[in-house]
Amino acid sequence: MNEEIAAKIKKMLVERLRIPEDELEYDSELFGEDIGLDSIDSIEIIVGLEDLFGVDMSGSGKENFQSIRTLTQYVEEHKED
Amino acid sequence: MSDSIKRCVVTGLGLVCALGDDAASCAASAFSGKSGIEDVKSFGTATCYSHKGAEVALTDEELCSEKYDRTTLLCIKAAGEALADSGLDLEKEDRRKIGVILGTCIGGAASIDKYYTDSFEGKETCKDDILRMPASAIANNVAGHFGLDGITANIVNACAAGTMSLAGACDMIRSGKADVFVAGGCDSFSSLAYAGFHALHALSEDACSPFNHSNGITIGEGSGVLIIESYEHAVARDAKIYCDVLGAGVSSDAYHITAPRPDGEGQMSAIRRAAYNSGVDLSEIDYINAHGTGTSKNDEAEFLSLKTLFGNRPELAVSSTKSMNGHCLGAAGSIEAVLTIEAMKRGEVPPTIGYSAEDIEALKEKSGGIGFVANEKQAKELNVCMSNSFAFGGNNASIVFSKEPRDVKGISNTAPIYITGVGKVTGTKDEGASDYRADVSPEVFKKHEVKSAFLRKLDRFSDLVLLSGIEALSDAGIKVDDTNADDIGIVIGTSDGPITEIVNFQKLVIEKGIENGSAFMFPNTVYNAAGGYLSIFTGIRGYNITIANGFQAGLQSVMYACDAIRRGDENIMLATGADELTDIEHDLYENAGYLGDGVVLGEGAVTLILESAESAAKRGSKKYAQIAGYATARHSVPYGIAGGTGEALVRAIEEAIADAGISAEDISVLYGFANGLKPLDDILGDAVSKIWKNGIEIRNVREDSGEARAASAALSLARAAEDMKDSGSEYMMAVSFGAGGIYSAAVLKKA
Repeated sequence: MNEEIAAKIKKMLVERLRIPEDELEYDSELFGEDIGLDSIDSIEIIVGLEDLFGVDMSGSGKENFQSIRTLTQYVEEHKED
Repeated sequence: MSDSIKRCVVTGLGLVCALGDDAASCAASAFSGKSGIEDVKSFGTATCYSHKGAEVALTDEELCSEKYDRTTLLCIKAAGEALADSGLDLEKEDRRKIGVILGTCIGGAASIDKYYTDSFEGKETCKDDILRMPASAIANNVAGHFGLDGITANIVNACAAGTMSLAGACDMIRSGKADVFVAGGCDSFSSLAYAGFHALHALSEDACSPFNHSNGITIGEGSGVLIIESYEHAVARDAKIYCDVLGAGVSSDAYHITAPRPDGEGQMSAIRRAAYNSGVDLSEIDYINAHGTGTSKNDEAEFLSLKTLFGNRPELAVSSTKSMNGHCLGAAGSIEAVLTIEAMKRGEVPPTIGYSAEDIEALKEKSGGIGFVANEKQAKELNVCMSNSFAFGGNNASIVFSKEPRDVKGISNTAPIYITGVGKVTGTKDEGASDYRADVSPEVFKKHEVKSAFLRKLDRFSDLVLLSGIEALSDAGIKVDDTNADDIGIVIGTSDGPITEIVNFQKLVIEKGIENGSAFMFPNTVYNAAGGYLSIFTGIRGYNITIANGFQAGLQSVMYACDAIRRGDENIMLATGADELTDIEHDLYENAGYLGDGVVLGEGAVTLILESAESAAKRGSKKYAQIAGYATARHSVPYGIAGGTGEALVRAIEEAIADAGISAEDISVLYGFANGLKPLDDILGDAVSKIWKNGIEIRNVREDSGEARAASAALSLARAAEDMKDSGSEYMMAVSFGAGGIYSAAVLKKA
C-alpha cells in the first residue's frame, strides 16, 4: 500500500467528514459500526479523491469503499501519472 | 383565558412564483399544465450537471421598492396581494391582533452570498447585508412594511416550513393570541440551495418529474401567503371566506437527516394526526397536493405512504404542482396551499405534468389504485383537501382545508403544565477571552454515550441543542422508547441558527465554484437540522418545530411547546433556546456594530422539559414550577435597531400577568434581559418602573454566561424554575426581547 496516498486520504476524510483522527485506522471499516459513514459521505469521498488524485470513483463497487486501504488501492490502480 | 374552539378561515390569497406574479396568473398556468421551469438566470450554472430552475421573473426592485433580502421581498409581494384580496381595512383594525408567521428554509441566503462575495473579492462589505442574513428578520420585515403590530414568527423547518407556519397561525388564533395572521412561506433562489442539492446529486438534469422519472428536484423560488383569521372576525367584517383551515399534523421521522424513512411511517403519522385534529376521516379527503419533489427517495416513500393509507381509492385525486413551479423549499407548502384552495374554488385538480403515454401506463402500476392526475387538470368537486410537506431533519407536516367547518380539536388554555426537567449548556469566559464559549468537545458527549460516528455529522449549533436535550431528558428521568416516542415533541427557538455552517458552506461555494458545494455540510445549513439530530438520537417522533425570531425565540419556544401540549398533540415537550458562537458570529455582531457598548457575547442551549399534569402525575415527575401564564407582544421597529418601544414590553408583561390570573405584586423576582446595550437596558428599566411602582428584584443570567441570545432567554426561565424549586417564592417571571420590537414574558408558579 502506498503510504503517501493513504495518509492523504486519511487527512481528507478527517477534514471533509470530521472523523476523529485518532479513531481512524487504515483498516477501519468506513461504512460499518466503526466509523458509520453513509451515502452522503460517499459523495464527499468521491469528490475528495477526484480533487486529490483526479480519480473518478463514481459508479465503482462498494468493495472499494471499505477502508482507507481499499481506497488507496483503487487510487493506485486508477491514478494517471 | 378561557377554553375556546375557534374556526380558522382563509379570507385572502397571494402568490408569486415561476408560474406568475399573482395568484390568478399562477393558477391560470398551473391549471393549464404550463411549466415555469427554465434555464437558471440568477447565476451561472455552466459548471453544473443541471441548469434548470423555476425563478420569479420580477427583479428585486419590481417586487418592492424597499431594500430587503430577496426572500423578504418575495413575501412582501405575495402578502400585499393577500391583504388586498382579504379586504382587511388596516385603518380600522386593531393592528396588535394581526400577526405575521412565515416559513423559510434558506432565509437571507442571497445576502449571505453577497456579503461574503464582496469580502472574497476584496470589496467593502455592507453592514445592511448582515441584518438581511437571518431568517429571524423576515416576519418582522413584513410586519413592519405593512404596519402590523401582532405576534411574528419565522418557522424554519426547511421544506415543511410553509405548511407548518399555516398550522402555527391557526394554533395562535385558537389560543386567542391574534385575530388574523398573514401566514405563509417564502424563499428566494440561492446559490446555497443550488450548490447543496447539486452536491447531493439531488437536482434533476431536466425539469423535475415527480411520481414519474423521479430523478431529482428542480429548485424554485417564490412566496405564498394566506390571510387566516378567526371565523368570528371574518364574519364581523363581512369578509368573503374561501375555506376553513381545519387541523394539521406534524411528526418526526427520527431516522436520517436528509432521507425520509423508507417505510413512510413518519409521513403517515403526520397525515393521521392532521386528519384526527381536523375531525375528518381519511376516506373523506378529495384531493391531496402531495410533497412530490421528484427525488427517488421521496417519491418511493410517498407512494408507499399514500398507498398504505389511501390505496384503491380512484376517487382520491393526487398531484404534485412542483412539476410546474419547482421545489420552492420553505415557500413550497404555502404556495401549494394557495393552489389547493384555488383548486377548491374552481372544482378542478391541477395536474402533475411531464408524462409520456408510456409514463402514464407506468403510473397506473405505481399508483396503487389512487387517482393520480397526470398532464391535464381534472374537473372534480373538492370539499376536503390535504397538502403535505416533508423536510430535511425528518420533519413531516400535513394540513387540511375544507369548504365546510368540522369539529376541529381546540386548545385548552387552562390545562396546567409543569417544568419537570432542565438541561443547560452555557459558556465560560477564559481570562483574556472576549466572550463566553461552551464546551462541546467529544469527551462531553462520550459521557452521554453519543458515538463519534453520529457526533461527527453535527455542526456546533446541533451539538449545543443535542447536549442540552439529552441532559434535560436525563434530569426529568425520561427514557424515550416505542411506548412514548410519539407523545414527545420538540420546539427549538433561535436567533441566528447554524449561521457558522451556513457561512462556511457559502464561502466554499464562493471560493471553489457552485459545482463544489459540500454534500457533508449542506444538511446542516437548514435551521431545523439540530432538532432533527435531537429526534434521531433520542428517538422522539412527535411534533418538531424550529422558530427563528431573535433572542426572545428561546422564550417563545416555551409558548409553542405549551400549545402543543394543550392541543393534546403531545404529553411532554422539549422547549429549547439555542444560539452558537464562533469567530464568524463574533465578527458579524462586531461588524454590525453591536459589541461597542460592553455587550459580551455568549453561546449555549437550554432545554426545559414541559409536561402535562396527567403525564407528570403518572410518571411521578419532580416539578420545578408550573407555567402560570405567558404572552408575546410587539410593536414594529426596523430589524437591527437595538431597542424598540417600551409599550410592547409593558403589554407582554401585563398580558402574561393577566394570563396567569395574578397581579404584578404577586411576582417576587424578574429575570430581565439587560445586556449592556443602553437602549435595551433603558426599555427594561422604564417598563419595570411602570409596572412595579415599589420595585422588584431583578436577576440577569447574562452576568455569568454572556449574551447567549435565545439560550439566555431560555436560561432565564430555567433559572427562575430552579430558584423556585428551592425557595418560598410563589411567582417569578422571565422576559426577553427580540430584534424587530418583539417581547415575550412568562410567569412561573411554585409547583
